[in-house]
Amino acid sequence: MTILTRRLFRTIQAGRGQFLALVLIVTLGVIIYIGMSSSYNNLNHSQQQFYHDYAFADYTFQVVKAPESIVARVEALPGVLNASGRIQKDVPIIKEGRERITGRLTGYPLPMENELNRLHLLSGRQLERQASGKVAVLLDPQYARANHLAPGQDMEIIAEGKKISLTVIGTATSPEFIYPMKDAGSLFPEPERFGILMLSQLQAQQILGLPGQINQLLVDLAPGVDEEKIKEQVEKILAPYGNISSYPRKDQSSHLVLQAELDGIKLFALTLPLIFFLVAAGIQFIILTRLIRSQRLPIGVMKALGYDNCRIMWHYTSYGLAVGLVAAILGTGLGIALTAVLNNLYAQFFNLPSMTNEINFRVVLYSFLITSLVGIASGFFASRSVIRINPAEAMRTQPPSSGRRTPLESWPWLWQQFSSSWKMSLRSIFRNRGRFAVSVLGIISSVVLLVFSCFSLDATDYLMNQNFEQINRYDYMIRFTEPIKYSEILDWTRWDEVQRMEPMMELPVKLHAGGESKDEVLLGMIPSNRLKRVYDKLGQERQIPEEGILLGKRVADKLGLQLGDEVVVETTLGIGPSRSSCLIVMGINEPMTGSGSYVSFSTVNSLLGEQELASAVLLKLDAAQMPSVENRLQEMSRVASVNSPARERETFEQLMGTTTTTIAIMILFAGLLGLAIIYNSSVMTFNERQRELASLRVLGYSRGEVSGLLRKETWAQALLGIALGLPAGKTAGAAYMVSASTELYSFPVIIYPRTYFIVAGLALFFVWIGQQLAIRKVERLDMVEALKNQD
Amino acid sequence: MGEVKVEALKATSLEIYQGELLVILGPSGSGKSTLLNLIGGIDTPTSGQMLFGKALLSNGREKDLTRYRRQEVGFVFQFYNLIADLTAAENVALAAELVAEPLAVDDVLRDVNLWERRDHFPSQLSGGEQQRVAIARAMVKSPRLLLCDEPTGALDFETGKMVLRLLRDIQKNQASTVIIVTHNTAIADIADRVLRMRSGSVAEIIINENPLPPERIEW
Repeated sequence: MTILTRRLFRTIQAGRGQFLALVLIVTLGVIIYIGMSSSYNNLNHSQQQFYHDYAFADYTFQVVKAPESIVARVEALPGVLNASGRIQKDVPIIKEGRERITGRLTGYPLPMENELNRLHLLSGRQLERQASGKVAVLLDPQYARANHLAPGQDMEIIAEGKKISLTVIGTATSPEFIYPMKDAGSLFPEPERFGILMLSQLQAQQILGLPGQINQLLVDLAPGVDEEKIKEQVEKILAPYGNISSYPRKDQSSHLVLQAELDGIKLFALTLPLIFFLVAAGIQFIILTRLIRSQRLPIGVMKALGYDNCRIMWHYTSYGLAVGLVAAILGTGLGIALTAVLNNLYAQFFNLPSMTNEINFRVVLYSFLITSLVGIASGFFASRSVIRINPAEAMRTQPPSSGRRTPLESWPWLWQQFSSSWKMSLRSIFRNRGRFAVSVLGIISSVVLLVFSCFSLDATDYLMNQNFEQINRYDYMIRFTEPIKYSEILDWTRWDEVQRMEPMMELPVKLHAGGESKDEVLLGMIPSNRLKRVYDKLGQERQIPEEGILLGKRVADKLGLQLGDEVVVETTLGIGPSRSSCLIVMGINEPMTGSGSYVSFSTVNSLLGEQELASAVLLKLDAAQMPSVENRLQEMSRVASVNSPARERETFEQLMGTTTTTIAIMILFAGLLGLAIIYNSSVMTFNERQRELASLRVLGYSRGEVSGLLRKETWAQALLGIALGLPAGKTAGAAYMVSASTELYSFPVIIYPRTYFIVAGLALFFVWIGQQLAIRKVERLDMVEALKNQD
Repeated sequence: MGEVKVEALKATSLEIYQGELLVILGPSGSGKSTLLNLIGGIDTPTSGQMLFGKALLSNGREKDLTRYRRQEVGFVFQFYNLIADLTAAENVALAAELVAEPLAVDDVLRDVNLWERRDHFPSQLSGGEQQRVAIARAMVKSPRLLLCDEPTGALDFETGKMVLRLLRDIQKNQASTVIIVTHNTAIADIADRVLRMRSGSVAEIIINENPLPPERIEW
């Protein structure tokens, strides 16, 4: 070991607190980088692999019903590589003998080898090609877990008005069920109340009374073909069979969620570590600049002895390199641990058969490269000042650092208000503007991260409140297996428990305008709706027009429609022939979730050429009587499902548990960043003013008063950083929200005032800890030692 | 590396009287600064007792020592130790803020003949001026004890004498006890008593019946 290396170790040892604080910041960056990048790679790889191995369809077409032979016709189209026909339909499951929940019955042609959206068995045994006997069914793992269903157990569903018993034989997943959601309007999965039931195609056809028929067509396209063109050709073939909807893979609900998650991780993996590295580089630069200034004498001596500039510069640069390497080593270890935690979390959320859990060596290598580069770069720029040190001059005694007036002193009335100690702190701040700015920027980053960690909670809370308190004010939504005449159930309103009842009709349609068309589901409700209301993204209530349509903004944009325009509505419901009518756009609605297109109950019926047809009703009950009504409803054969917002809310709150863990980790990281910054800045101030602080102690200032003096500077940094960080955090949140908006969600930037206080409180707390750690030096300050030698 | 115990100051018994000017004389390493630091309450003895009036100082309680320094002691150092970020007047005010009834900052600055330079920062003052600010800073609290560690050590002859005259005046006018530590034997002539130290012990105490005015000493 050379003497200079040994000296480097001693420098690190002497200022180990600062060294560790720097290492901490870089380590946090590395942990996030490795954790997030590896998770991204793992998840992305698992997704791609699964999509490929199990032939995830490029396009899905929904029809009322069509003969199986249609598959071959579609397959014959140029550009279509493969097509699968199957049955998929939502049926009521009778849970625990009474409650009705929804099961998505999906038939699989056996053998499955050449089919699309193949099944991957997770537990139990495979489906077998059998037409008679007990119906065997595979479940999605979340549903099986939430409902405690194990292989060998039976479950009941209702199909074609009959109760049918199914035997569970295991659990399975498929590329389309990685994140099973009931529909695009769902905010979150509800495994207690929604499950995927996978069974053989033959049995599905029998159960649903559709022998030889399919209602869903999956298509795999050749790479590089014109999707739109093929879609049109397929739709033409399907037209006689009632083409209800068609959507590409990118609009598939499971894919949409998984992809949004992947995009989010990727964004964070790139931006978050950058913040930590930049802050570390800034602080390191300042620490080294200060170190070199305080070591003028030894540097002068080294130069006098014959060391050249490069040698000395490298000596100081290697401090930065040491920070980088130590942090990369620690960060790699902890980053791998974080990867495991995240992988576990994703494995719970996503049904991916082989969740890769690999340490990505390229990511680790990059971490070492990046941290070394950050260390070397900041070290190099700081140590350039070595060149300017003249040995003869360096070995002479230094004059006292020059005090300077601050701009604040142009206002004597203001300046006179400050005590001597504040004047000291303020002048010191203005003298060390660069350092002050770096610390303030660091605190801003920390606060932005804190706001970022907390605001997703607010956004979710706002969304949930809007959903459960403003929009859905009913106690139950009862969906029917088929649309029924509202008059047939009107007698429900005479039940004692029922305070109010409103009908609802959901109608899948194709909207046409200006040569474009778009699938949409219209919700028909009475304009005097009270139980389910319509709110836009900004929280404004929207009125359902008696005539015409309140159109969702995304559809309106796609079709280029504006207020007062006409839109052609073509019904695609599986009953009766398809009909086309013209509606006037009475309003444009931008909801937070879902599509947001509404018509009145009478309009939706006239579109169908029907009267009073309802697919669901909403009930408001006397709170005390709820269980008795639910029991009665569950008994009715035409009831498909009974939904209760209260229950949904419970499910959601359980789901939030895992999110809280991630948020807690984020808060911890952001807080540690702030802590390390303040610690460093306090220690730097302390080191620089040790002598002055000792003089103050000699004058009779107590430890508390001297610590207070040190704190003033850091409080000034912290308060300014917090004041600027809060709005910056909001801006960052807004930018993120814009980039994270999908077809399904578009969140407003909601940050409750409370959150700003919480964030400020958290930031102050971490700042205070950083100060406490640094202030210990004041406790140990030896007056005699500090005053003994003149630098 | 093992630690070697160095005894800076051996068993010493000493009384210092109110209102006297005491010069502690000795070569470097004789323990004179250690003695001064103990008297000033910025260091504590490993054994033995120290009393200020009737109050015990050697109990090592940080709070008591801080109060003692705050109210009773003024310190002047060889290298002034002024606060670089404060002007001359502000440096003095810094000490004045500590006590209930300080002298007026302006008066003290006039006494040390620096009133015109009151708004200058230490870096804009000469060594003698800086030392006078340091003395003003010590005086403003009107302490009963004024402790000076080589106050003329960094100053030229004329300036040094001016500083000594200032110290003598303070002792006379404010009835303070002034203790000057120095290796400069010439300064001993202005003292009421002289303490000679050698290798950590008091070698002799000389009572000076006729101290000279600072103007008349030479080195």
